[in-house]
Amino acid sequence: MAFGDIVLYINPFHLFMFVTMLVFTFLIAIGRTETQVEAELGTLDDKTKKVDLKEFKARRFLSIICGIATAGAMITGDLYNLTLFMSLIGILNIGIISSVKQVEVLDSVFQYGLIAMMCSLPLFGGAALILGACGTVSLLAIQSIKPTAMMIFGAILMFIGACGESGIAPFFASKAEMFRTPGSPFLLIVHLSSLFIIIRVIEVLLIICT
Amino acid sequence: MRIGDLFNKFATPKRVPRLFALILGLFLIVGFLVPMALNPDQIYPRLEPQVQIEANDPAAPYDRGGEVLHSPGITDSQYPQYEPKLGWITSYVSPLAQFVMSISPYFGTSIYSSPGGLIDEILYYTRGFDTVLESSILMMAFIIASWLSINYTMNRKNEVENIQKDVKIAISESDRVANEISKSNQKAKRKQMRRES
Repeated sequence: MAFGDIVLYINPFHLFMFVTMLVFTFLIAIGRTETQVEAELGTLDDKTKKVDLKEFKARRFLSIICGIATAGAMITGDLYNLTLFMSLIGILNIGIISSVKQVEVLDSVFQYGLIAMMCSLPLFGGAALILGACGTVSLLAIQSIKPTAMMIFGAILMFIGACGESGIAPFFASKAEMFRTPGSPFLLIVHLSSLFIIIRVIEVLLIICT
Repeated sequence: MRIGDLFNKFATPKRVPRLFALILGLFLIVGFLVPMALNPDQIYPRLEPQVQIEANDPAAPYDRGGEVLHSPGITDSQYPQYEPKLGWITSYVSPLAQFVMSISPYFGTSIYSSPGGLIDEILYYTRGFDTVLESSILMMAFIIASWLSINYTMNRKNEVENIQKDVKIAISESDRVANEISKSNQKAKRKQMRRES
């Protein structure tokens, strides 16, 4: 199966990740948000934090698109397509959390958004360097090309970009703040998409560098 | 200073993007030292822009050669086996763009050519899914921005909790004012009683 020059890169590992992602997306599509209950100091009352219907609908829509984009990134066999999927996931992650009505969370989403915006430079720049060095962006063709210094530099740039877009380890400081908000299943997809994407990106970088 | 404190300082959400920008900048400077060489064997080639401009081609940097339905243009794609009709149609031109092309030799470099005046068919035919993804990124960005601007999540004035708090404050305020008024009334009454007696 192919869309013109954009072919799929399929083996059992990728198919497994693709199907897992689609199953999770389905579970999230039929899921409902949790309600957090907080004990208050000084009184015997509890304070419930609910997600209202409008916010729920907006978040569910963005989560489903995010799940589909992650699933697509798992099986694509084209480097440029992968970077596009990654930046789509980055912008959706910001969108899912930016609808929260808590000031501290919105502040940290702002910082995460700054990183995600900066990361489009190394992400697309790295892909462009690899295209310039190889003359192609198809992973099946890049597999047989011997790595040059320019390709490895491009690969490292792409890795920096992917780290920032998916918000893994060093940038987790701003992301950890976001997980304190109500609305659990939709926040899980933020987590899950970054885990899956980073596995796929490392695999692609190994294809480029070997 | 202990190393744990140092890490805690770096992990403040406000400092993370700044640190990241610094590291990225340093890394990009290292990039100047990496030998860069363009591979001459690229996919989707076309003639050099200067060659087309000197030949007085109105569609200058976008011309991929060929004649519609007679001979295919310059094409070199990754998987020609999936694209049987590659190169037979190289681009679409809108009627307005055709008119501009007939009166001006600078059509390709003018603003008419980019937003839909001239559509590069080869890229759409070979990499159609990319264009779908690109525009869906834009659409998601617009959806998020419009959702935020309609709902304005930073606005706390109309929340039930805050309204209840405001009402409580207003009630206690008015109680206090009423108390003060009744006190001053009593004082005035006492004064009057003293004068009359």
